[in-house]
Amino acid sequence: MLVKPKVRGWSLLLGAVLWGIGFQGFMTGWAQATTLTVLTHDSWAMDKGLVDQFEAQTGIKLRFLKGGDAGAMLNKAILSKGAPIADVIYGFDNTLLSRALAAGILQRYLSPQLKNLRAETLLDPQGYATPVDYGFVALNYDKDYFRNKPLPTRLADLAKPEFAKLLVVENPATSSPGLAFLLTTVAAFGEDRYLGFWADLRKNGVLVANGWSEAYYTHFTRAGGDRPLVVSYTTSPAAELFYSEARPKPSTPPTGNLLFPKGTFFQVEFAGILKGTQNLAAAQKFIDWLLSKPVQEAIPTQMWVFPALRGAALPEVFKWAETPSQPVRLSPEWIAANRDRWIEEWTRTVLQGQAPSR
Amino acid sequence: MSRWLLALPVLAFLGWALLYPLGRILALGLGEGIGATFSNPYYWGRLGWSLVYGLGSSLLCILLALPLAYAFRYRFPGRAFLLTASTVPFVLPTVVVAIGFLSLVGPRGVLGVNLYGTPGILFWASVLYNLGLVLRPLVALLPGLEPPLAAARTLGATPLRAYWRVGVPLLMPGLLSGGSLVFLYSFTSFGVPLLLGGIRWGTLEVETYTALAYRLAFPQATALVLMQLAVSLPVLLLYLRLQERFALQVGTFGPPRPVSARGAWALTGGLGMVFLLLYSPLLSLFFRALQYPGAWESVWHSTDFTPAGLALGHTLAFAGLALLMGVPLAGLYAYAVWRGNRFLDGLGLLPLLVSPVAVGLGYLLAYPGLRGSLFLLIAAYALLSYPLLARAWLPSLRAMPKSLLEAARVLGATPWRRFWRVEWPLVQPGFRGGLALALAAVMGEFGATLVLQRPEWTTLSLAIYERLGRPGQAPFGEALVLAALLCLVGSGLFLGIARRKED
Repeated sequence: MLVKPKVRGWSLLLGAVLWGIGFQGFMTGWAQATTLTVLTHDSWAMDKGLVDQFEAQTGIKLRFLKGGDAGAMLNKAILSKGAPIADVIYGFDNTLLSRALAAGILQRYLSPQLKNLRAETLLDPQGYATPVDYGFVALNYDKDYFRNKPLPTRLADLAKPEFAKLLVVENPATSSPGLAFLLTTVAAFGEDRYLGFWADLRKNGVLVANGWSEAYYTHFTRAGGDRPLVVSYTTSPAAELFYSEARPKPSTPPTGNLLFPKGTFFQVEFAGILKGTQNLAAAQKFIDWLLSKPVQEAIPTQMWVFPALRGAALPEVFKWAETPSQPVRLSPEWIAANRDRWIEEWTRTVLQGQAPSR
Repeated sequence: MSRWLLALPVLAFLGWALLYPLGRILALGLGEGIGATFSNPYYWGRLGWSLVYGLGSSLLCILLALPLAYAFRYRFPGRAFLLTASTVPFVLPTVVVAIGFLSLVGPRGVLGVNLYGTPGILFWASVLYNLGLVLRPLVALLPGLEPPLAAARTLGATPLRAYWRVGVPLLMPGLLSGGSLVFLYSFTSFGVPLLLGGIRWGTLEVETYTALAYRLAFPQATALVLMQLAVSLPVLLLYLRLQERFALQVGTFGPPRPVSARGAWALTGGLGMVFLLLYSPLLSLFFRALQYPGAWESVWHSTDFTPAGLALGHTLAFAGLALLMGVPLAGLYAYAVWRGNRFLDGLGLLPLLVSPVAVGLGYLLAYPGLRGSLFLLIAAYALLSYPLLARAWLPSLRAMPKSLLEAARVLGATPWRRFWRVEWPLVQPGFRGGLALALAAVMGEFGATLVLQRPEWTTLSLAIYERLGRPGQAPFGEALVLAALLCLVGSGLFLGIARRKED
């Protein structure tokens, strides 16, 4: 009789343990639907049907985190090195590539799809950063404004009196197209003359905005500003046509690209697996998926950049996103070695109005 | 003792949500680089401009709010609506306000004058954003001025003399306390000077932001944060002292005074004109949104961007959740301070003073496990909104006549009944005004900079940014429509909350 309560106690404990194990099992079963966290810049957009399809086929749940502009996003990943805030990072470009590599936040991965990508996008031979898409930063002009006026034909024209107070650029310290345009001028004029060009631009009334949205939507003439020349992308005219509100839909875009030789900047956007991820296999699958044909073919009208995959079809409207013949291509190493100094010199010359020292 | 018990949860929350993450970031910057920043004249220039901007803004707000507050003493048609209007700009993303300003007084603005890049437009924008911070408390407190003024008159003072010797000294602390709040907001402001003044008029906060978010220049950022705190902390202490003093002296609230029908309509017309002028950039925004008739339709079922209904739902849900967390915090804070906890008084306002980007990056270091969690998002919203609520709550607590509470106790009312029947009705107007401000802060873009956003949580202000990131008429039109929508929903909510029975 005395034993009975004891037995009951033991069985209770046993039951609890079993239940606990069962619960744990249930939980791991639950957790087997792996969640993959992807850190992106604010411009990330993807067809929802494709995302659903990936989740259904792989059993991997995707969770996207938006970390600001590409530069700010990469810095968040660098800051949280060791306890990464995501498994995969997407959206840092070739102006930031060497910073990402130097910080040692990426885990190497050679996707089987790499061999099908355009050779000029493969800027990291080690395979830490996987190219996903590319584009060109270029000057856009408002066709209405320039209907009966001559267009500039080379970068140096922008400093001429007839183009005074017509240009808005982005601050290279806070904007990736802004930085790309600064790099374009460095490549076009050379280290010793680019600051002179910027000093002339300042005299000629160049306007500096903090970011692309501000430049395009408050200063560009299309949206009511007074600047008919803006630093944007070669795909922007195509997007203007695609999103045109006019009925009937016009057959040509209201803006155009200025594709001077050495006047555009070749930009590649990368994805990479963050070191320390617990979901390596899932992260690799995600990268492969980014490079798959359906996703690559959705990229143009989702994010207005070109797919890195060779043979990915472009939508009809992309015929307005002409490919420049001589874009500026700078090596990531050279950018890394000089970027901060260029930005600093630019800030002193253009914002603070100090005479260039060279 | 009870004042510390009340304070404990607030202190714990502050430590967790603000001090620890901020400390983690500032600690990264301790080292040699700090000195270089302090010796760079460029940053002292920024500090100088920030001071000018802060002082100028608060002065302008006071000068405008004082006569307006007197007009609001009277009952006239549209009174509640106009009072609400002073809170609405709080909800709007700065980019959108900038678009409104530029379409009105930009290089190609409809008024034909170009104010872009001038200090004039910056101060205008600052008044537009901050007027409510001075006006609302003043309107609530002016009635308390009447008994002492009447007493002075009875004792034989001329109206002017009575006003100068009695009215002004009573009013001064109130004005200065509102003014210091405006100072703190504009001194640490980020978006407005950046978007309307161009690069030249960046405040210290702008420098901190670029140093941290784009360059990870920790020593510089730490130096800048310290520089900013060195100014804002003394102002904060001044503000607290002033608020305590003026609240002690001013009596209970009163309903608006009746006035003849003609007088009332004259007030409506006059004040309407003032507000029309002040808020014309917002009207111009509406006007521009109307030029995109297609967007009013397409914004609800957009496939490329977050549709309006979903974004609206998120905005309301997050605002509700944030207030669910923020109201108890604000209540504990207000009651602890009311019971004399001066330590908390100062500390509790810190969220208004520190750089959001520093706190946001601190979260990444301090709580990697909470990355992209809803809890952190709500906590961040609550952190930024509870001080506003508590500050508006506090003066009405302080103005509560102790004798009434004691009378209730003597007459045998239980504590609960005492709170519900005596305290709450007295405190309610201040609480409601504060709730509207806090809600405005939550609905605006404030929290967005703090935490990592998930696309499926896009709020109205983020939905606006989403569209402004693409070239084309349709995204632009939809962004304008969403801004108009945010204005409308915001004013509707504030009107519902802040309106009180006027009889």
